[in-house]
Amino acid sequence: MSEPAAKAQEATIEQDLYKKREKIYPREVHGIFAALRILAMVVLLGLYYGLAWVNWDGHQAVLFDLPARKFYIFGLTFWPQDFFLLAMLLIVAAIALFMFTALAGRLWCGYACPQTVWTEIYMWFEQKIEGGSRKQKKRDAGPRDLAYYRVKATKHGVWLAFSLWTGFTFVGYFTPIRELWDAVLVWNLGPWETFWIFFYGFATYGNAGFMREQVCIYMCPYARFQSAMFDHDTLIISYDEKRGEPRGSRKRGKPSAEAGLGDCIDCSLCVQVCPVGIDIRDGLQYQCIGCAACIDVCDDVMDKMGYPRGLVKYTTENSLEGKPTKLIRPRILVYVGILSIITAAMVYVLATRIPLEINIIRDRNVLYTETNEGLVQNVYNLKVINMDQQAQRYNLSVSGLEGLEVIGPTEGIEVESGAVVDLPLRVQVDPIELKSSSTEIMFHIESVLTPELSVTEPARFLGPVLR
Amino acid sequence: MSTQPATRPDRNELPVVQQIISVMWPSFITASAATILFFTLFDPTELGTIGGFPNLTRTGGYTIGFFCFWLLTSVSCAMTCYFRRPTHRPTETKPEA
Repeated sequence: MSEPAAKAQEATIEQDLYKKREKIYPREVHGIFAALRILAMVVLLGLYYGLAWVNWDGHQAVLFDLPARKFYIFGLTFWPQDFFLLAMLLIVAAIALFMFTALAGRLWCGYACPQTVWTEIYMWFEQKIEGGSRKQKKRDAGPRDLAYYRVKATKHGVWLAFSLWTGFTFVGYFTPIRELWDAVLVWNLGPWETFWIFFYGFATYGNAGFMREQVCIYMCPYARFQSAMFDHDTLIISYDEKRGEPRGSRKRGKPSAEAGLGDCIDCSLCVQVCPVGIDIRDGLQYQCIGCAACIDVCDDVMDKMGYPRGLVKYTTENSLEGKPTKLIRPRILVYVGILSIITAAMVYVLATRIPLEINIIRDRNVLYTETNEGLVQNVYNLKVINMDQQAQRYNLSVSGLEGLEVIGPTEGIEVESGAVVDLPLRVQVDPIELKSSSTEIMFHIESVLTPELSVTEPARFLGPVLR
Repeated sequence: MSTQPATRPDRNELPVVQQIISVMWPSFITASAATILFFTLFDPTELGTIGGFPNLTRTGGYTIGFFCFWLLTSVSCAMTCYFRRPTHRPTETKPEA
């Protein structure tokens, strides 16, 4: 960043800190990147609102069933025990984001961030109802008459309806959405569901309708630390200062050299389209979300002037300085390395995951009892959890002491898919076998049909020591 | 006299909106993380039974848990904001003559 640009930025930052925020009316823009942004918006919003309604194998395809403490993601079912997989997934997501940032700068911010996507659709509603940015500005500065309130009421009505639908869909990812919809139809929602629909709806309405770029500037942690991932080969949006300066207006079609000026005609359109209200010509700024609206609009102007496109363009610092841009560099290789290791570990864990678990709880009241036959008896309560997609039958056995005997169901224990079965069991043994007052014994459970599906879990067997 | 105009607020004073954000927002993020971690380990219905709320649903448990966490973390954020204010400001002295 050049010296005067830095000063100018400092001045605007100070101004921003002390001045009340003024609403930004970004001018609508058309072009290749605008089209890409709209495409991303349609795809992402379509996924968000649509995926909740997709069914898979008789249940909702993606459902984080909080009331049942089970997560369904297509063919997979996750239990609280699989939490470390979720943790790994989050690590993968974070590192992937770092990598993409190092490569492509704020591509995420400009095209995929929910804040950007929802802001975009809310602005689209606004422009459909209120008209373009100039009309909006005029209306807001004008009299508060009936027409004003009618337009505003329509906009907020549409925004609110869309927000509530967003909130409803959000809750629909945590409780089955079809049941939720039936409950909405007869106005019989549970209190917590109602609360979250309104809470999330309100958050959407506030963030996408009002907060907008302020979320990126003041609230987003990523916006603050993303510069740490940047290097001279990172894709950024930049104004070509060498080509553009000195800026100034001139007649259409007049070559810059004749006018004694740079290619920038100082039309200020790049500032007018910016959703965060900055001037890209001041250099790289942390407020810039990389949406490329300024590229689209400037290319348009360059076409009209008969100048080559790309006065504002996607580029890298190296390329601006006339040096070659390196795609593969140590930083990227490190990210790729870490990513592949964690992803491979995750795939391995997922593939070898045994969808069966037993929890063993010893009877808390009595340490052990002696039977009439003189055997020592311990009481356990087993919870058998079938995390598989289909019902299973299991056989149970106990080992660890000579002559262990199980009283209770041991063969063909039937557990439905996703169900938990309680098994009260007594285990008894001749006290002669006990070498100490507490011995480790093993509960082994395996599927009747697929013996690989098996789990062994230790427990303690208590008893008197006979000498 | 200070060289700064009288209307200009102190450098350490952020606008009210930003102050609210800097308390409510980081606490929201940490509370969400804490809620996920906590309820992965503990089932709210079981906690409810122990705590004397046998009728607590899971969704209710999660919600109450989240807001309790948010309350705690926002108190912590608010205290940080409070304590990072300078306690002592040097008294401004008028220059001679």
